[in-house]
Amino acid sequence: MKPSVLAAQAAFVLFVIGAWEYGDAVGLFDPKILPPPSQVAVALKGLLQSASFLGDAADTIVRVIAAFLIGAPIALATGFVMGENLDVGRSLSPIFNLVLAVPQSIFLPIFVLVFGLGFTEKLIFGITHVFFVVAINAAAAVREVPHGQVLLARSFGAGRFKIYRSIYMPAMAPQVMTGLRLGIIFDIIGILLAEMYASRSGLGVLLLRWGESYAVDKLMAATVLISLVTILINELMRVFEHRIGRWRQAMA
Amino acid sequence: MAPAIPVVIEARGLGKIFSVERAPIVALQDISFAVPEGRFVSLVGPSGCGKSTLLQMLAGLVPSTTGEVLVDGAVVRRPIPEKISVMFQDATLLPWKRIAENIEFPLEIAGVPAAERHARAAGMLALVGLSEFAERYPHELSGGMRQRIAIARGLAPNPRILLMDEPFGALDEQTRIKMGHELLRIWAKTKKTIFFITHSLTEALFLSDIVLVMSHRPGRIVGVIDAALPRPRTYDIIGSAEFGAVRNRIWKLISQDDTEAGETGMASL
Ligand SMILES: Nc1ncnc2c1ncn2[C@@H]1O[C@H](COP(=O)(O)OP(=O)(O)OP(=O)(O)O)[C@@H](O)[C@H]1O
Ligand SMILES: [Mg+2]
Repeated sequence: MKPSVLAAQAAFVLFVIGAWEYGDAVGLFDPKILPPPSQVAVALKGLLQSASFLGDAADTIVRVIAAFLIGAPIALATGFVMGENLDVGRSLSPIFNLVLAVPQSIFLPIFVLVFGLGFTEKLIFGITHVFFVVAINAAAAVREVPHGQVLLARSFGAGRFKIYRSIYMPAMAPQVMTGLRLGIIFDIIGILLAEMYASRSGLGVLLLRWGESYAVDKLMAATVLISLVTILINELMRVFEHRIGRWRQAMA
Repeated sequence: MAPAIPVVIEARGLGKIFSVERAPIVALQDISFAVPEGRFVSLVGPSGCGKSTLLQMLAGLVPSTTGEVLVDGAVVRRPIPEKISVMFQDATLLPWKRIAENIEFPLEIAGVPAAERHARAAGMLALVGLSEFAERYPHELSGGMRQRIAIARGLAPNPRILLMDEPFGALDEQTRIKMGHELLRIWAKTKKTIFFITHSLTEALFLSDIVLVMSHRPGRIVGVIDAALPRPRTYDIIGSAEFGAVRNRIWKLISQDDTEAGETGMASL
């Protein structure tokens, strides 16, 4: 990105923070609802030093990671079969697309009924969030492997495994990464939602509790923190996605 | 043709039917011909007559519905990379690999050690005159350069036979003739057997010893032309009376067989 663009973006962020601080100082905002950034920063520092907050954060992180580590490989395998086997793909793809169109949040009460409250319920809810988007992207990635490249590899004597390794993997990598990036974001959404709906621990339950008890500075601090972390994850994965897919953008 | 020259590729009664939903397409019917060792053989025919399908059957990439392909007397059932390199209709370079890595690709599949791969790729790049592009990516090259890289890649495993599917089809007339000239130079130097598909009569005659003429749907061989014009060939030959005479013979074959074929031929004259 150009330095001038970066500077403009930094200026914009600083302006918003400045205006927010100023608005509180001159009484434009009610600090009970919108405390100034300086107060939020103090609250954030306090949170990061609080063992109980860090414990809740760790619970959320463990749930997110566990759901991803279980959901993503199953989704990749499913997507691969859907892409390679036309019959499987034709029958499953429309179903998956329909599922993706329904807000998955509406299934949460059913999940709680079926699995009860606890780790399993949140884990499975997270897995369903990871699964569909990763699987659909993997299936599309397989279908878009150019037939000509497969023929080429075959003509040079490549067997099935070698073709997967030398053609499928690099050709699929960028789109699979897109799926994984969306998968982890959906995962975070799913886990936080499950925690806010009903949970004994986790960041979601803290947000809800602080919101209800008007602990606005903590609420804002945690909100800012979670936002920053998800933005960071998204951007890191996007950089990686661009790197392995550089040849693709160059061709377009 | 002297009968002493051994046959490397032989097609015996090849036929191909694609069974698409509802109506099956008879793409090829009763194709028989022989390609002698070290010869440059071209196949001309209108678009969609089954040339690419035929080439893929010769390469062992696609099964035939009837008949069989023999290479060195043995029936072909799968690709034989030790003997045959295929160059596809589009250059099909792997976009994520650098140029040198693309040329090394067949060697990588064959399990050639890295050091030897690099050396051979460098040699091939020099042969096609693109050494300075070794570290570039395919999208940074022009269409003609990519075709030359595809040729270099096909030559890298040092096969005896090259099957080339309209390698210069997407190029302008001038570049095309230049590339043909370059191919003849490489051919003279490497003594390969070349089976070359084109829909340009001029290109076929300029390059080949033998021209096979195909008809449209179902694809059949309607003529085998001995294009024994003197070698080495220069551009001047295209304007010669001899060249014109052979071209007219092929022209007649095509136009009496099929008007659609005639139109396609006309466009490329
Ligand atoms: N996999 C396939 N399934 C069904 N039909 C096919 C398939 N491959 C080729 N065909 C049909 O076979 C015929 C011959 O195709 P082919 O690509 O061999 O023609 P071609 O002579 O190489 O044409 P061009 O000069 O345009 O490259 C066409 O009618 C095509 O539609
Ligand atoms: Mg073709």
